[in-house]
Formats: sequence, C-alpha cells, structure tokens
Amino acid sequence: MTKWTRRASLTGAAALLSATAISASAQSRDEMMAAHRGGEIRLVAAAAGGTIDPHINYTLQYWQLFYFLYDGLVTFKRVGGAGAGEVVPDLAEAMPEVSADGLTYTFKLRNGLKFSDGSDVGVDDVVASFQRIFKVSGPTAGTFYNGIVGAEACITSPADCTLDGGISGDRSTNTVTITLTAPDPEFLFKIAVPHASVLPADAPLQDAGVTPIPGTGPYMFESYNPNESLMMVRNPNFTEWSVDAQPDGYADSIVFDFGLTAEAQVTAVQNGQADWMFDQPPTDRLSEIGTQNAEQVHVNTLTAFWYAPLNVNLPPFDDVRVRQAVNYAVDRDALVGIFGGPVLAQPVCTILPPEFPGHADHCDYTLNPGTEWSAPDMDKALALVAESGTAGQKVTIVVDDTSVMRDVGTYLQSLLTDLGYDASVNSISGNIQFTYIQNTNNQVQMSVSQWYQDYPAASNFLNVLLSCASFHPGSDASVNISGYCNPDIDARMQAAMQLATTDPDAANADWAKIDQDMMADAPMVPLFTPKHVDFVSARLGNFLFSPQHQWLMSQSWVQ
Amino acid sequence: MLATVLARLAQMIFVMFGISVLVFLIFFATPGSDPAARIAGRNAAPETVEQIRREFGFDRSLPVQYAVMMKRLFVTRDLTSFVNRGQKVIPQVLDAVPATLSLVAGAAVLWVIGSLFVGVVAAAMRDTVVDRGLMILSLIGISMPVFWLGEVMNLLSQSRFHDTWLFSWVPGLGYVPLSESVGGWFKALVIPWITLAVLYIGIYGRILRANLIEAYSEDYIRTARAKGLSPTRIMLRHALRTSLLPFVTMFGLDFGALVGGAALLTEVVFGLNGVGRLTFHALQNLDLPVILATVIYASFFVVAANAVVDMLYAVIDPRVRK
Amino acid sequence: MSLPADSNQAAASPVAARHLAAVSARGPWALAFRRLRRNRSAVASVVVLLIVVLLTLLAPVYADYLGVDPFRSNLRGQIEIGGEAVAVMQQSTTGLGLGVTPIGPTWNPAGYMLGADNQGRDVAARLLYGGRNSLLIAGAATAICLVLATLVGIVAGFLGGVVDMVLSRILDVLWAFPVYLLAISLSIVLLTSTIDLGIVTITAGSLALPIFIIGIIYVPYVARPVRARVLTLRQSEFVLAAVGLGLPTQRILRHDILPNLMPTIIVFVPILLALAIVTESALSYLSIGVQPPDASWGTIIQDGQSLLYSRPAVALAPGIAIVITVLALNVLGDAVRDALDPRGQVR
Repeated sequence: MTKWTRRASLTGAAALLSATAISASAQSRDEMMAAHRGGEIRLVAAAAGGTIDPHINYTLQYWQLFYFLYDGLVTFKRVGGAGAGEVVPDLAEAMPEVSADGLTYTFKLRNGLKFSDGSDVGVDDVVASFQRIFKVSGPTAGTFYNGIVGAEACITSPADCTLDGGISGDRSTNTVTITLTAPDPEFLFKIAVPHASVLPADAPLQDAGVTPIPGTGPYMFESYNPNESLMMVRNPNFTEWSVDAQPDGYADSIVFDFGLTAEAQVTAVQNGQADWMFDQPPTDRLSEIGTQNAEQVHVNTLTAFWYAPLNVNLPPFDDVRVRQAVNYAVDRDALVGIFGGPVLAQPVCTILPPEFPGHADHCDYTLNPGTEWSAPDMDKALALVAESGTAGQKVTIVVDDTSVMRDVGTYLQSLLTDLGYDASVNSISGNIQFTYIQNTNNQVQMSVSQWYQDYPAASNFLNVLLSCASFHPGSDASVNISGYCNPDIDARMQAAMQLATTDPDAANADWAKIDQDMMADAPMVPLFTPKHVDFVSARLGNFLFSPQHQWLMSQSWVQ
Repeated sequence: MLATVLARLAQMIFVMFGISVLVFLIFFATPGSDPAARIAGRNAAPETVEQIRREFGFDRSLPVQYAVMMKRLFVTRDLTSFVNRGQKVIPQVLDAVPATLSLVAGAAVLWVIGSLFVGVVAAAMRDTVVDRGLMILSLIGISMPVFWLGEVMNLLSQSRFHDTWLFSWVPGLGYVPLSESVGGWFKALVIPWITLAVLYIGIYGRILRANLIEAYSEDYIRTARAKGLSPTRIMLRHALRTSLLPFVTMFGLDFGALVGGAALLTEVVFGLNGVGRLTFHALQNLDLPVILATVIYASFFVVAANAVVDMLYAVIDPRVRK
Repeated sequence: MSLPADSNQAAASPVAARHLAAVSARGPWALAFRRLRRNRSAVASVVVLLIVVLLTLLAPVYADYLGVDPFRSNLRGQIEIGGEAVAVMQQSTTGLGLGVTPIGPTWNPAGYMLGADNQGRDVAARLLYGGRNSLLIAGAATAICLVLATLVGIVAGFLGGVVDMVLSRILDVLWAFPVYLLAISLSIVLLTSTIDLGIVTITAGSLALPIFIIGIIYVPYVARPVRARVLTLRQSEFVLAAVGLGLPTQRILRHDILPNLMPTIIVFVPILLALAIVTESALSYLSIGVQPPDASWGTIIQDGQSLLYSRPAVALAPGIAIVITVLALNVLGDAVRDALDPRGQVR
C-alpha cells in the first residue's frame, strides 16, 4: 500500500492511545449519547478522493468513511487501539462456521436489517455484492478475492461473473456459503474491509462514481460534488444491532469539504472552522500546533515504512556492494528530522516495521551492527563504492512532488554526491510517480516510496514488495520496484506462508530471517517508520484511533 | 458585420481545435500517463489493469480516442473525469464558473482603477518623489509571486492577526455564492481580489505611465497645450485616450486568460472552487477529460476577449482603421 | 489634425530630421549614449546592476569563506554562536516536541546570515549562487521574448490582412495553451531521454529549456501591445508621408516604426524580467530547468514557501534581491528611453 491508498491495518499493531480515548470509558455509553448526540462534524481535505463506490475506492480518505456507511458479513471491532484487530460478526449473526478442511465458510444473516433506501438486506444482496466486486473490476478483485471458487473466470471475463460454486445463498435459512480453492488464514480479514461491503442487489454493475449507493451503517451519503463537498447524514433506517460491529454515531451529520491547502486546513482547525483535517499538517506548522494546540493533536503509530527502492538490474545498483554502501551511508536520523523529528518517525533497518508480525530488531547497516540503527558508517560505504569501481556514474533519483518527499530526495542526492556519484534528483507529480517508478521501461535507478500494510502478515511486505511474482517488466503495475528476484528466497517465502497456516510463530521467525537475508542483498534502503498526526478542533471529543479504521469518526462528538 | 462575426467564430474553432489536439498529443507522449494502471488502483492484478484498459478504450488508436472524447464532450455531453469517475466534465466546469468570474471581475475592477490611478498620477508628477514611490511599489507588486503573496495574506489575516480588530471580520477560506449572501460573498473575496490585482496594478500602472509620457511628446498634445487647455483636461481627454490602447490590449489578454482559469494559484491558495482550481487538480492528476474541457473553455475566452479588444481599437483611437 | 495646413510639414520633419542625424558625424546611438552618461540616476542604476552581477559572480568566494557547501545537505550540522554549538536544524522542545525548524537569520556574515533552509544549507550563499541562474534565465528569456514579440507585432500590425489574422490566432493558441501541462510532460520525458534539436541537445537540467519556454509564452503579452502600437503608427502622418515618398517598406520599418516602438518595448524589460524570475520558479518546481540542489531566486522562494510560518526570511531574501535588480533595470530603462527619444528634451 502506498501513501495514496494507505489504509487501516487489518489487525492489531499496538497503537498509542490518545488520552481522550481512555477517559471516555468512565461514563456509560448511554449517558454519553444523551449528553453529546447531535451537531455536525466538519472535515476538510485538499481534494476529493475519487469515486464513492465502496467496491472500487481504494483510498484511506474514503475507507475511513466507508466503515460508518457500509457493512460486510464481518468487520473489525469498532474500538480504539489494538482491540480493533478482532474480527466480529456484522451483518452475519455470528462468526461463520468453517468446515474442517478450511475451505467452506457458512454465514447466517441477521434478520430485519434494512438498507438506507428502506429495502431489506437479504442473502441475494450478499451474493450479488460478491459478484459485483468482479463485475466492476475492483482493484483488489485479483489480489484479495481470487481465492474464491470461480474467481479466476470472473477476473478474465467480469461481465459473465457468477462465482458459481464459490458463493451461494439460501433464502429459507438466511445463510450464505462461501467456498475457497485453498485454506486462507487471512480470508476473514479480507472480507472485513470495505471492498467486501454488502450493497443492494440492484446496485449498478459499473463504477457508481459520484452517485451514492445505499448502505447499512448509521450514516449515508446525501450528496457528492468532488469540487466542493461530500455530505453525510443519519441513515433513517438504521437501528443499532451490535455496538461492537456498528455503533450508532454521535453527530447528526458529517460534511467533508474539499479544496483547502494543508496550510489553510491547519488554520481552519485552529480557528474552529473545521473539526479535523485529512492531510498531514505541513512540517512548517508542526512545532506551532504541538505547542499551542497540544491537546488537539493526536499522534499514532502506523505499520508502514518509507524506503528507497534500488533497481538491482541497472548500474550502479546491479552491484550489491553499491546497494550496501548506500544502506551504510544513509543517515536515518537526518531523514527522521525531515519528517518532523523523533516523535513522528523512527529509523529502521529492516523491511518489516517494528511491532509487525515477523519483525525482529536487527541492523547490519550501521556504525556498530546490532539490534538497532545508531549512526551512518561513511567509511565503510566509501570503501564499498571504491571496491565496486562505480564512482562517477550518473544516478537519478525519482521522487514525487510533495514537500517532504522532495526534501528526502534532495538529501539522498547530496549523499550520493558524497559517495562519489554524479547524482541528480527529479520530482514528478505524485499521481504519476508511483506508476512511473514501477515500469522498467522508464529505467528508474533509485526512487523513494512508501508502503502501508494491507495484511498483518509479513508476506504483505516481503512477498508483495520483493517476490519474483510481483515483478512485471514493462508494466505500470509492477510493485516490486527494485526488480529483485531471488528464487531461493522466493522458495523460502512460499514455505513460510505454508507454515503460517499451522505454526504462525515459527513462520514469523522464518520471516525475520528472510527479512535479514533480503537486506543482505540490499534491494532497497529502509528509511523510517512514520507516525500519523490527527489534528482536531478544540470542541471535538472522544477521539478514538485504531490501526484498522484510523480515527473512528462516528464515535467522536462535537457538542 | 455578420461576416466579421462568422470569420471570428471560425477562427475561434480553429484555435480550440489546435489547442485540444496539442494537449491530447502531449498527454499521450508523456511516459507514465497511461491512465489504466492509475484507474485500476495500487497493486491491482495485471488482468484487472487490462480489463480497465479495454473498458475505457485506451487500447484504441489515438485519432479514434480523440474523436470519441470530442464526441462525448460536445455531442453526447457525457464525458466523465478519469479521477472522480462518474462526474461529468461539463457541469463540473460550469459549476466552477461563478467563483472564477467573481474573483476575476472583482480583481479587474480593482486593478483597472488602481493602475489608472498609479499611471496617471505618476505621469502627471513625473520625476517627483511621488512618481518614484509609485514605481517602486508597482515593481514590488510585480516581483511578488502570487502564491507567495496569497499565503502571506492568509498568514496575516487567518492566522497571526485573525483575532485582532484588523482581520476579525475575515471569514474562513472558500467561496460564498452571491445568491447565498451578498455580504458573505464580498467578505470572502476581498483579500483574494487584492492579492490577484496587485500584480496587474503594477504592470498596467507602469505601462500606462510610459505611454502617457510618450503621448505627451506627441504633436497633438503640444497643440492642445498651446491652445491653453487645462492640464487635467489634456491628461484625461487627450493623452489618456491614446495611451489606453496597449492598456486595453493587455487587459483583454489577461482578463480572457484569467476568466479561462489562469488564476489557478490564487484559487488554490484561497480555496476558491473555480475553473483555475479545477485546472490545477486536473493537471496534477493528469485527468485528461477535465484538462481538455478546461483548456477548450479557456481558449474560448482568450479568443473572445481578443476579438472584443480588436473592435475597441477603432473606438479608442480613430487613427486605427483598416 | 486641427491644423491641416501645417500637418504635412510637421509630418515630414521627423523623417528629415532623422535622415539628417544619420549623416551627421555622431549617430543617434552615440548621442543617446552621451546623454545617458550625463544622467545621474542612470549611472547609479548601472552601478547597482554591476554590484548585483559582481556579487553573484563572487558566490564561490563567499561559499569558500563560509567553509560550507551550499549544495550539500547539512541536516546534522552545528554552528558556533557566542561560543556555543547550536544545531542548524533545531528540534522543537516545547509541547509535544513536534517538528524540526531550520536555524533563523544570525545576521552574521560568518555563517547563516539569513538562516538555513529545509536542508540546513546557508540561504545567503545560495542566494548569491541563485542570482547567477536567475539573471541568466530571466535575461535570456526576456531578450528572446522581446525580439520575437517585436518581430511578430510589427509584421502583424504593418502587413495586416491574412498575415495579421494568422499570426494573431497563433498568439491566441500560445496564450491559451496550458504551459504547465507541457512542463509536466517535458519533465517526465526528459527523465529518460534527451531531446535533440540538432543545434542543441536538451537534458533535464538544461537551462535552455526554461529560457525558451519563458521566452515564448510571454510573446503574446508583448506582441499584442506592439501590434496595437504599430496599427497607430502606420496611420501616423510621418509614416504615411514616408510611404507617400515611396520609401521601401524595410526602410520605413527600420527608421520610422522601430524607433517609435522602443518606448513601448523598453517598459516591458523590467516587467518581463520579474515575471520570468517568478515563472522560472514554477518551472523548476515541475523539474524543468534549475534542478536541486542547484538554486535560483525562484527556487529559494519555493523553498521558503514551505517555511513561511516559521522562517519567513528564506522567501523574503530572494524577493528583495529581485526587487532591487528589477528596480535598477527600471530606472535604467527610463533613462535609455529618454536618451533615445529625439523629442525627449522638449517637455
């Protein structure tokens, strides 16, 4: 996952709970509801996030909303902190019955639930929704839901998708049965995200774009103009069926305004004209809000990392010594400073972020190799470059045009110059950069990118970012940006994934080894793990954050 | 008369066609511009990307794609954005017009009055302290990038001095439609107007002063002086009239371009949802349908404004006749 | 016009005067130069411009004296202020301790006189280096723009008819063209390939690119007023007289039209220069022209833009440099115009 589509994590990585989250539990929920229900939450972002079709939109910006507008069969528990990693039944009455071979999941639907347009939620809607994921060519159709029987046919020919044998509904018993081609320990996570939301069976079989599709949550979309605002109001047909799965919201309406720069968003929140800003506050304002508005700032850990992919198929990075040299030379503390200081980021040496399954503290590329990074080792780096005989070669670093990214790029350019290269840095529009650096035709030697977890599984970083299977030469969709393909390591990753179904702990130990062995080849430079800043208005109460949902918008109040 | 108008219209279509083809070619000549992968989403399976490519017709030849897009833009009028899919491009542009028109019209009033004042006073008091002071101010105005000035205005009026008597009246950033509240519309736009106008007051003031001084050395002014006409009358009736020619020419260029969306940085900094901001986001996202629509829209205003200016020439200076 | 009997004489006289001047020992340009030297403010403005150029040329000397490379990131650097070591990039220590702010102006030429930018580099030293790029790009772009615009304006205005129509519409296309799209596209194209124009090969960091782009995009802005002026001049008595005398068109253009256009053109010089410097910053932001870590006044303003709330001096310093340069040029332009104007002495 990259910055543009970063989303909530699927299970619990420890989150730094904000103080408000803990104090809130002192009062009972009914009392709080009586005292704070009503009002309007005003959100603000620089730009709209695209379509509001929950089966297609793949941005954090709208996933954060979808959790309070749509429901799946199961969902992540709506609580702040690590507890949100738990999957709870949502539209399903209880957790599914799973067959002994792990292939068949049977869900019993709750009775009496209605969509926001007043129609009943039935098994046909569930079946149609799973077919729709493929019919609209959803972004994760081929990566999340390809394990369902019949999915392969749906991917090649979406229009005729039936998922025959993969999903079936029984109206008389109100049950839905899903069959997989192979056991998948992560399947429930995959259907707990908004891409598996249950929509009415008559939802359009194409991207709904700016037209709202009825949902089941406490709020519903009322109107959407991507140049102005997105309006959400209470769903008149909502009745709370499970506080864990979909609690009622406090505010009567939520309005998301678009079009203020990040600087202007900070000022709007300070002046009480907005309750929350979507974009990260510009580094220029961090010190100011951290001092003057300290109570309104919430800092939370993300399981993600910033890294610099090195193209292992292009000189000078086709020489492992050069890749190692760059790893030795990068001053992670300097980069942490660019991002906003140690409170907001943490230097890393491994691919798997701290606290992530499979992560083990380890660092080879530092002054005193050991468990953590301490300082760059320029002498060693220079020696390696000299050994490789590549000094003087041209290196171009491609970054996107956000201010922090440009600063990181400029720093790396300066560093590569120190190492003896003829380095330059180019920034291109953020929306193009990510696809541009993936395509081998563009001959990108070095770039800067970010990855946010999809799965709480090591495979989601290591296998997605560095396996032979995710390297597609000549394609814009080739997320193995380094072009790294090591058959030995690939085999070990396959084995670890197999092992995970039986012995997750042993598998994670293997992943830690794989991470270290990959880094010995140094196909990338892990830079730092970022944290997330939420800046909210003074009137906003009960701020809860979980790695899955990020800010639990429906659980905050404004009066 | 009718023939002139028709000829102008034909030329306008030529300009629009030329620009749209150029934009289209540039777009597809850009590596990484292929919208399929971006539409499909991050880490989409290659099959999904192919599916999107077929669905959107990106696998067809460029002339066909151009023709289809133009047809959807002008004939069926159902062309939709690549980024905010489902959003029709034409209503998107039309919705954005009021904000841009309000911004540019207000700023134009300011900069015409301001630059007339600066130009006339500086020329009349040539080589005095007043003249020098005005010229220094106008050059400072020209040297300030509008994105910087806008951000400084925000810094002062929204942040640092927002709670003082000076700026407590300033509403939050954003456009307030005139139909909603006249007072709100005015308050929301005062600072953007000033920010946008500063540059043009500087440029036009300088140009006007130079032309007035030039006019003063012409024979007919000397004749007028010799006839004993009052200096004010000479300035306003005679000198100013001929000096307005370049002034009006540039006004046509700038007004046309700004109404067409060239005030993009001003709109972005002040959060005004006008054509400029639309263009800005479309360019950032390489959203071809919106880029095409805004560019064609902009070229309409540029050509139209220049046509009006050409007609005004004969009114301002009777010597210009063909 | 009110004195028809005299108008013929009045119209003929400038032509005659100019022809007389041409044969006299001192040409009009030499005469203008002498007038210019006597103008005190003109001399002062030349001195200011020379100082600006000299300072930018001495940039390496200053950087050497500082001992800090203004093109290298210095995120972990320290400097000594009042005997104490101070970090160049200062971690916030108040409240939640968010954010890192570069050091502000020390007002001490020995280091960080104007503070540091986001990379911990000395803004004062970068300002001097940046001046070279800015003056080169803006100067060359202004020259190209003026030459092209004058040419187009004269041809369109004097010939009229179909030529005028075609040229005017081409100017319209140019004026309505989304330059940013071209810049975005070019920056990406140039990442992988170079553009070979036969005479010059253009690479991503090539300064020729911003020079030509800026030189061309402002052509309509100057060409249309020039054309308007030519339309007036063409109907003026002395040009009609020259045409009546049967003088060749080329000669009329060179001797009667062009000199009378000079005031219109000269006034554009400082304006274009300022606009070019600002436009250059937008282009380099899109990775066209001056590339990091290299600097120009425009890119320093861009750097300062992201420090506006904490370190406003970073954006202000290049702005002041631009104003000083443009102001000096403006004074010089006025003086040149006065010196060239044969009627300038009569007020």
